[in-house]
Amino acid sequence: MTSVLQPQKEAPNGTYTFASRPRPVQNRTKYREPAAEQSDGQSNYGNIMYDRRVVRGNTYAQHILPLAAQPDPIEVQRQQESRRRSVARKRAMEQFRPRTPEALEGRKHIDVQTELYLEELNDRIEDTSVECQTDAFLDKPATPLFIPAKSGKDVATQIEEGELFDFDMEVRPVLEVLVGKTVEQALLEVMEEEELASLRAQQRAFEELRNAELVEVQRLEEQERRHREEKERRITQQREVLKKEMETADKIAARAFAQHYLADLLPSVYTTLREHGYFYDPVERDIETGFLPWLMAHVSNTLEKRYVARAVLDMLIHDVTQKRLELFQQIQPHDHSTQ
Amino acid sequence: MGKKGGKSMASTRISEQLPPHFDPTQAPVAFGNRALPRLSLELQDPQLCIRQRALAALCDLVHDPKRAYEAIHKGCLERLKVLLQDRDSSVRIKTTKVFYLLAAHNVGREAFLTWDVVAPLSDLLDEPVDACRKNMHRALKMVAEFPAGAVCIVTLGLVPRLVMKLPVEQEEIRALILATLSYCVRVDALPALASDGVPMLRNQLSHPSADIRRAAASAMLGISVPSEGKHKVCEEGVLPILVKLLSDCDPGVTASAAGTIMNTAIITEGKYQALKAGAIPPLLELVGSEDRAVCANALRALTTLAEAPCAREQLLEHLPLLKTRLNHPASIICRAAATAIRVISWTP
Repeated sequence: MTSVLQPQKEAPNGTYTFASRPRPVQNRTKYREPAAEQSDGQSNYGNIMYDRRVVRGNTYAQHILPLAAQPDPIEVQRQQESRRRSVARKRAMEQFRPRTPEALEGRKHIDVQTELYLEELNDRIEDTSVECQTDAFLDKPATPLFIPAKSGKDVATQIEEGELFDFDMEVRPVLEVLVGKTVEQALLEVMEEEELASLRAQQRAFEELRNAELVEVQRLEEQERRHREEKERRITQQREVLKKEMETADKIAARAFAQHYLADLLPSVYTTLREHGYFYDPVERDIETGFLPWLMAHVSNTLEKRYVARAVLDMLIHDVTQKRLELFQQIQPHDHSTQ
Repeated sequence: MGKKGGKSMASTRISEQLPPHFDPTQAPVAFGNRALPRLSLELQDPQLCIRQRALAALCDLVHDPKRAYEAIHKGCLERLKVLLQDRDSSVRIKTTKVFYLLAAHNVGREAFLTWDVVAPLSDLLDEPVDACRKNMHRALKMVAEFPAGAVCIVTLGLVPRLVMKLPVEQEEIRALILATLSYCVRVDALPALASDGVPMLRNQLSHPSADIRRAAASAMLGISVPSEGKHKVCEEGVLPILVKLLSDCDPGVTASAAGTIMNTAIITEGKYQALKAGAIPPLLELVGSEDRAVCANALRALTTLAEAPCAREQLLEHLPLLKTRLNHPASIICRAAATAIRVISWTP
């Protein structure tokens, strides 16, 4: 065991230290001596020249354990080859062994016993039945605890702390790796989250600024719009008022002029009307329209009657004269003729 | 006498047998440079158990950024994309987990964009297995957290589909989807608005879980930035819920609620709705909070509300409280307090 360990506590002068003293294997005597003590070990050094356990003779041809724990592939191959060869040889030998010739056609070989006395060959094994029975159990006292007698030597060994290796120094690299990996993983995770958190914080700050500016802009815009609209409204209102005033002034001027123009219209109208006879005295009018036409009509009637009478008279006169004329005419020519 | 080497002791000779295989669920990882090429070959193997073991080993390796970089540059992403459509569910779960771990690294995220991984990943939105969907949403959220990723998700048109998924998913996944949405609406809120985002988010605002409320409030904040969003928020009657959320115990929730009120109160309708819902007293309480975001958002909300004359009257009495915030070490809060005081004391 000690040869495998690294010599840890190598002293500066190069001597080899150990915890349990290395000692040569004791020479075992042929017959066991039960009371042999450790102190006898010194005198019991054996001579390895005469030790039966030491290998003697030519070591080249001896069958030694292979170096490798696993079988040497070459060895394995060689063994397999030899096995194969022996199997092949056996098979070849089989072929050359003389056998009975095959049976002729129509015949069959059977085994036959050729001894003097025939033997019955069967597979039945002769057996006999044998019975055995133990006696009934007898009460037996408990067996005393068997403590074998002490034989041999008691040897104890103990690995004290710090003998094999120093835990604190050994564990350092392992611990460093473990802690390192854990811390690395944790750092990665924290970095991820931090990156995201810083990104978000930056965005939030930008967002606030942006909100502030946006709202300010919109509010001022709105204010501007309202003021402008108010101004427009007031201006239009003012314009309306102005227009109305002007209209009113115009109307007043027109009315004054008209009044002035029509001031002496009335008397002239009156006079014209009076001239045209629109203001009449009703009695006079009545006389004129009612009485006088009637009078005139009656007068004309009367006059017409007179004319008619005159006309009749005239006709009468005319007729009479005509007749007289005719008469005279008739008479006259007679007269003339008589003359 | 020959030395008999005892079997119990270690010898200096290397054993001819392979090293002991401790974990049967993981493929043995080769040494050094051979680890990832061998794993990526095993990923393509037609036998199921070899693929599963290779994926398990990959999951463990990818935590390390160097390994993640190697994995990406050896072209593992293509193989993993193929495995996403695998028939076996444990393979899909592990693949999504690998994608999630890769997305935690910056190289991973950039590789997602170059190799167009987000599209096949998002095909798993309708996946029946819960664990797989959860990992997929985790990966998507991680991608959405950085700006280029959010842009990619919005251009792929994933926002309407995610909004559709909101009512039907279980809680943890809902929290993840809400977080993804809140990052996406900061890029472009219009797709979310177009797919009825505001009513869905309003329903999530009253959820018992704090994570969901926080994410929903933050998404609402992003949605209320464009003017259509503001009108939608007023229409859907979200402001009373927001005012109630101002008294929540989680500072993230209160900050986002105050921010949404701040955005919505810019339009006149929002102002009057907020005032009717009684937003001023809780906001005044929040001004004294220690959290920077909460305080700043509360101050700015008061500023926008103070544009209305009736609010200005109320707030004139509380000017001293605002003046205490003028000397805060953070410059944002100082500026916000100064603006608030200026607006409140403005007379026409």
